[in-house]
Amino acid sequence: MVIEQLLARDVSMYFAGQRALDQVDLTLRRGEVHALLGANGSGKSTLIKVLAGYHNPEPGAEVTIAGEPLAFGSARSSHLAGLRFIHQDLGLIDTLDVTENLKLGGSYGQTWWLSHRKERTEARAMLRKYGLEIDPGMPVAALSAAQKSMIAIIRAVEDGLANEGVLVLDEPTASLPPEEVHQLMDLLKALKAQGVTILYVTHRLAEVFTIADRVTVLRDGQRVATEAIGAVDADGLVELILGKKLEKREESSRSDTWNPVLVADRVSGENVVDFSFTGHSGEILGITGLVGSGYESILGLVYGSLMRDSGNVTILGKQIAAGSPRLAIRSGISYSPADRRRLGAFLGWSVRENLTIPKLNYARITQRLSQRAESAEARDWIARLDIRPNRAEAVLSDLSGGNQQKVVIARMLRCQPAALLLDEPTVGVDAGAKSAIYSELRDAASDGATVIVSSSDVEELAELCDRVLVVAEGSPIRELVGRQSPVDIARISLNYNERAG
Amino acid sequence: MRSGAKPTSLTANLGRLRLGRYSGIFLIVALVVIFGSWIPQTFLTATTVQAIAQNEAITIIVSLSLMAALAAGVFDLSIGQNVGLGAVVCISLVSTYHWNPVAACVATILMCGAIGGLNALLIVVVGIDSFIATLGVGSALLAAAEFLTNDQFVGPTPASFQIFAEWQPLGIPVLIIYALVLALAAWYVLEHTPVGRRLYATGANADAARLAGIATKRYVVGALILTGLGVGVAAVLLSAEIGSVSAQVGNSYLLAPFAACFLAATQIKPGRYNVGGLLVALFLLGIGVKGLSLVTGAVWIPDLFNGVALILAVGLAVILQRRTQRRSKRQAISAEIGGSNPME
Repeated sequence: MVIEQLLARDVSMYFAGQRALDQVDLTLRRGEVHALLGANGSGKSTLIKVLAGYHNPEPGAEVTIAGEPLAFGSARSSHLAGLRFIHQDLGLIDTLDVTENLKLGGSYGQTWWLSHRKERTEARAMLRKYGLEIDPGMPVAALSAAQKSMIAIIRAVEDGLANEGVLVLDEPTASLPPEEVHQLMDLLKALKAQGVTILYVTHRLAEVFTIADRVTVLRDGQRVATEAIGAVDADGLVELILGKKLEKREESSRSDTWNPVLVADRVSGENVVDFSFTGHSGEILGITGLVGSGYESILGLVYGSLMRDSGNVTILGKQIAAGSPRLAIRSGISYSPADRRRLGAFLGWSVRENLTIPKLNYARITQRLSQRAESAEARDWIARLDIRPNRAEAVLSDLSGGNQQKVVIARMLRCQPAALLLDEPTVGVDAGAKSAIYSELRDAASDGATVIVSSSDVEELAELCDRVLVVAEGSPIRELVGRQSPVDIARISLNYNERAG
Repeated sequence: MRSGAKPTSLTANLGRLRLGRYSGIFLIVALVVIFGSWIPQTFLTATTVQAIAQNEAITIIVSLSLMAALAAGVFDLSIGQNVGLGAVVCISLVSTYHWNPVAACVATILMCGAIGGLNALLIVVVGIDSFIATLGVGSALLAAAEFLTNDQFVGPTPASFQIFAEWQPLGIPVLIIYALVLALAAWYVLEHTPVGRRLYATGANADAARLAGIATKRYVVGALILTGLGVGVAAVLLSAEIGSVSAQVGNSYLLAPFAACFLAATQIKPGRYNVGGLLVALFLLGIGVKGLSLVTGAVWIPDLFNGVALILAVGLAVILQRRTQRRSKRQAISAEIGGSNPME
């Protein structure tokens, strides 16, 4: 009898000459839950995509499912081999009901007459088998996020998976509210009891300890460890993921002499609940957390690009209306969104026009804008941040990501704001531009502004921030004062939800 | 704003065609040379020049009006029927109800502006896609014009009303002078004032514009009302020019302005609906249509020429878009392995 349900050997993958996977091995024993961990860019998703038949690996790679070799590069052969994938996009049709969605997986081949009542009875039995009390007649749109995930998983398991295949879950809890995570865990435990083999990709360490039997860690495209879950602890896993030793740091005492500039008081809205914080003059404040924790929307809610449900924001004592970037800019707030290409800039416009648009120089609205004055100003900013190419009329889409972001930063600084809010300020930015941006942000802070950076990049937070708020379930749970090591920040944000697991 | 998505990508791609900023001007010269040597005795005459200028004047004004809406990122498909209803109302007021011509003109322009306001209400407040909302409004406007005319021609207007469209100082049709003055004003506002910059920003990327502190909804509403008012001016001048109209007169003021505006986004300042490009596009279309009509004498020439020009420009843009999408997909895949953060 084969006990290796999935055996992958020497899987390598290159993109544009860059190594994404380097001779990765992976073994899944029959009936185990195997967690796959790694930072972004470690190769996790690439490996999953190879298994799914989306990517063709380098020659020499070999994958067997229950002893049978898998043909690469075809989603169909992966499916026939018994691999079932649950991605973040569950593939459910919101407007159809639970029964119809469950049936989409199976075949309609047997009869030409579809009996709705019979199907519902079958669906109800199917749900009971996994201990779910969901009305099979409910439209999927009315289900909770966890229920939707469970429907997708049950559909995959019932659709010919049995004990012969492997269920691959790609970050199934990333978009779940923390209070629903345990429902999914219960289902996975039930599947495990039935002997289903599961490959579980996640960022959340607490879940790994709840559900997994063994864990494999990838870093920079290489497998760095495969361990039984009893043989490692959370700190050990963080060290493996980051490739760094944990060092203990002393928390420095808080400085109370700072003057508050931006005060957010019990702000609620998209994923955020009663979030309060204060940005002080001269300070760089970091905000971080896991996806869905609310760290990614708090700055948008403060600025007004997202509509807040409740809460107050004041800058230098002056209140700012909800949902109006226009008024926020006028009161001295500048914001740069994480999605630069879609929200942060006008890609088809020149550097000059992108720089000046939030604050055009005019006395009357019908006044002529002086292109000469704008160009002169643009050239100053281009020189100051070393933007390349160094032409004011260069079209923004022709600039590299780093240079585009420099333009966005220059645009913010040009408004001379009292508060700079930045979501993921260096995503897709090269190292050189990164250090230029950091030094501009430090200068802005030492000139008296408050700089608030919301980021998932712990290295960035460690390098830049005087203080870091770690967010979970919509509000800050920890405040780390003083310089931190990236590993400490990562450990605290990854470990927050032990009680949820 | 959802309604902004379509025209945005369209302009960007029209700009990316890189047909050459001045290719339209070269084409105009080529057309003049071709028709000039083919039918010199009919084409190279003052009458032909005057006729082209006169024909294009109203279309220029309608196209300039349309440009306001397009620059803000919304379609206005009701322009043609708005011209038609405006002309019907204006002529009825003057000839049937014997209104003072000035009062009739003001009333017409305000009515057309109000229709722009109705479009704005449906698009910005109710939230209907601009394409659908203005298509529906346009159909309703045609019905209103047919109801008012009872399927008869209205007019003719008294000579005193027609005089201000027929005047030809130094042999130049006064209509083209009006049109060029309006074009100059539109060029100044769009390209040299804060209003124009923000209007373009709204159309280029409404979400980014809002985050940059622009009151995008106000600009869209303003642009649609301005489109209505401009169309009203065109309706008044059309009434004065031809004196008697049927309800269907608006049909010829939909396709040509759209073709001209889309072509305009490939000329002079590619990627942006610009006034210089618009004039090049309109004279290119006007000369082509006039020359072919003189050669063949066929009535279907204008519709065919405008349609083919529109399909060529937009079709090339779509093909280009597909190619860029494929490229960005490839880039996305290779970008996936960049970056390094442990807890996304």
